[in-house]
Amino acid sequence: MMSLIDVCCILAVFLALTVLATHRIVGMIKLFALQSFFLSLVPLFLHAEALSGRDLMLSLVTMVLKAALVPAILFWTIRHISMRSEIKPILGFGASILCGAALIAVAFWISLSLRLPGKLTSSLVLPCSLATMLLGFMTMVTRTRAMTQVLGYMVIENGIFLFALSLFDAMPLLIEMGILLDIFVAVFIMAIVLNHINEEFERTRGSAVSRPKWGESQ
Amino acid sequence: MDFILNKALPVLFHWGGVCLFAPFFLGVIARVKAFFSGKTGPSVFQLYFDLAKLFRKKCVYSGTATWIFRAAPAVILGVMLTLSLMVPFGRFKAPVQFSGDVLLAVYLLAVGRFFMILAALDTGSSFEGMGASREAFFSCLSELALFMNFIVLALLAKSISLSQMIGANIPMSWGGMEPVLLLVVVSFFIVLLAENCRIPIDDPETHLELTMIHEVMILDHSGVDLAFMLHAAAMKFFIFSGILVSIIIPVRTGNAVMDMAIFFGGMLGLAVLVGVVESTTARFRLNRVRLLLLISFALAFFGLIVTLWRA
Repeated sequence: MMSLIDVCCILAVFLALTVLATHRIVGMIKLFALQSFFLSLVPLFLHAEALSGRDLMLSLVTMVLKAALVPAILFWTIRHISMRSEIKPILGFGASILCGAALIAVAFWISLSLRLPGKLTSSLVLPCSLATMLLGFMTMVTRTRAMTQVLGYMVIENGIFLFALSLFDAMPLLIEMGILLDIFVAVFIMAIVLNHINEEFERTRGSAVSRPKWGESQ
Repeated sequence: MDFILNKALPVLFHWGGVCLFAPFFLGVIARVKAFFSGKTGPSVFQLYFDLAKLFRKKCVYSGTATWIFRAAPAVILGVMLTLSLMVPFGRFKAPVQFSGDVLLAVYLLAVGRFFMILAALDTGSSFEGMGASREAFFSCLSELALFMNFIVLALLAKSISLSQMIGANIPMSWGGMEPVLLLVVVSFFIVLLAENCRIPIDDPETHLELTMIHEVMILDHSGVDLAFMLHAAAMKFFIFSGILVSIIIPVRTGNAVMDMAIFFGGMLGLAVLVGVVESTTARFRLNRVRLLLLISFALAFFGLIVTLWRA
């Protein structure tokens, strides 16, 4: 069971890395959904010997919220705006992959000197959660489109979720639910905000096009 | 007599196996692709017929070509044959194994590639020069990923001999090392696709200027030379998939027939998988191929970090 957690953690980092390297927003959302799905399996493996109802519920709620509902909202959002892909990232895709690889190393190095209260179920959970967070940050700061930045933020949230899972036994269920709800609300608001922002852009662009050019008669 | 039995016979046996079976798996891939596009497709033995036809033909050389162009096919075939001696295939142990042979293996691949690029430049055709430049660029990146993979495997097996790395020591590793091996397998699969010019990176069937990498470099070869090139390419695929299958299924049941059946089943499965990948994905734009290879490198690097972390 231990190594299944490890596999999930590794897949989370791997998918965060591929999110960083993807330029199409649809692809990014799919990868994010896949990452959330694998992360939602982690609570099932936490207490392998005695699977409690609490684990099962947390896993189910995460799966429904993060792997189905949030991607659905994001898909709904991009249907309504005209963004399909990240065009001009601040840092090129190749350079961001290499930086991502370096960030993974940094995350593992940091977690060497991080001592957490309570026993960790697997030694990979902590470094992988840090790596996922850093890769999410990387996605967020190197992309210029609002939508891709939201996705970077969601990847960070997934990292935080993994980090919280490592402290699962010390944390009451209420806080866990709070985290999930937080994300849900955040995405919901961002979807709305994005929609409005895009409409604003639409309007300004429209006015710019209709302005007469030099030498052109009205 | 003893020398012949102990040394020469395994070598000949190994070569015989590689030469005989290599074209078969490319035929399997072609068949899978045909199935996906709703066609019957050529027989799985089509490449054997092609090779037999080409071996009966004589070569035509361009006026500008020098001896390099004539030597390249033989060099490439020789490199692949030498390389195949260091790779164990299922139950057949590698006839040549020593500490550090993995470095020799990678550099032999590089020698083959170097001669292929030189031969392409030697024809004086700008078209082939373009393919050569692409091959040089992409192979730089794929070599990086390949080396990284081998480093991880070497750390896992605590040996730098290819036979040890993908042979006996891996079964123990699957016990607790699934995450690392998962990364290595995915990364190596991308390298396999890149090195063998399969679809997400290069389309082996197209003859369009915009998309060709490998195919463009063998355009001017004909007759026996072309047969050498094609056979060497088939062997390269056989060697790479042999290594990958040995990593994924390190089964040693003890029963020789069973082991060979499992190994060949694995090879067939891998060929079918490559065919499915080729049928379901589109070829990447050339400037995105680089990203795929970099991801492959990053995965292997991640595998390295996890290995060190666990140690």
